Amino acid sequence: MKKTLNILAIFLLIASSVSAQRYITKNGYIRFFSSTPVEDIKAHNRQVQAALDSESGELVFKVLMKSFSFKKALMQEHFNEKFIESHKYPNSNFKGKIVNLDEINFKKDGEYPAKVEGKLTIHGVTQAIEEEGTITVKNDTAHAESQFRITVADYDIEIPSTVRKNIAKEVEVTVDCKLKKRKQ
Amino acid sequence: MKKAFKIIGIIAAVGLIAGFLVYQFVYNKPHPDYEKEEAVYTLPAKKLYQEFKNQTDSANEKYSGKIIAVTGKLDKVVNTDSLTIGVFAFSSGMFGEEGIRCTMLPEYTKKAKALNTPTNIKIKGLCSGFNDPDVIMEHCSFNQ
Repeated sequence: MKKTLNILAIFLLIASSVSAQRYITKNGYIRFFSSTPVEDIKAHNRQVQAALDSESGELVFKVLMKSFSFKKALMQEHFNEKFIESHKYPNSNFKGKIVNLDEINFKKDGEYPAKVEGKLTIHGVTQAIEEEGTITVKNDTAHAESQFRITVADYDIEIPSTVRKNIAKEVEVTVDCKLKKRKQ
Repeated sequence: MKKAFKIIGIIAAVGLIAGFLVYQFVYNKPHPDYEKEEAVYTLPAKKLYQEFKNQTDSANEKYSGKIIAVTGKLDKVVNTDSLTIGVFAFSSGMFGEEGIRCTMLPEYTKKAKALNTPTNIKIKGLCSGFNDPDVIMEHCSFNQ
């Protein structure tokens, strides 16, 4: 009896690992957008790593801060050296879960609303966030898109008084990542 | 009175010129010319990858934000919607191949796509750091 249970447990373990399906990308896109009466500032990052487990709903994003590019070189310098201190905090990440996983059918092409909860770490500060977006399933791709706002002060990012009027207190974040199904 | 106007005029002109120079060369200064910049370090791609993987903090301090050149066997060139990336692959993990990812300057994409990989190469670019498990190099160029 014990032997049968062991065999069953091993079978279930193998079955679950085979059915676990991971979607990944190393070139996802994230954009920051700050808008004030003085100026609009956009920063683009096309080197975002993301992984999504369609069985558990677990979702991970990893971002290298020095990969954000700005139109103005001086703003890029300020972003890295003064605001985000990328020499001290080179990476940001999000670790979380899709909470309405039962509403997303990864086996059927379509656009599905997604609710995500998790922890966002920027500038060494971690905050719990809940955001909404969409996941568009097409062939072997899960296209994750979301737009939300973060408050700069929540992440202990200090803006020097000389440029305080140039940078919004709330910054819009756009996420656009095409994750491809990883062959097991 | 006439002299006073002259002095004010000169001060205003100097102020305007100074303002223009600050705007042009500080506020509006261009991004570096990554293709022409000299590499601060030249080293084998595998050594750079291992340094980042094993001693991330010290490698970050040494290489991140600097122009570096890496040498070795480029395993493949991949294309995304907007980027062409040369890949030095040294291991495999959750995110697929792990190694160094070199995003090409727009003027090098055609040349990179034409590479017959795997091929030995020297690639120069801006090291942006380590997005575990990959070292990221951007604005890359090469001669081959």
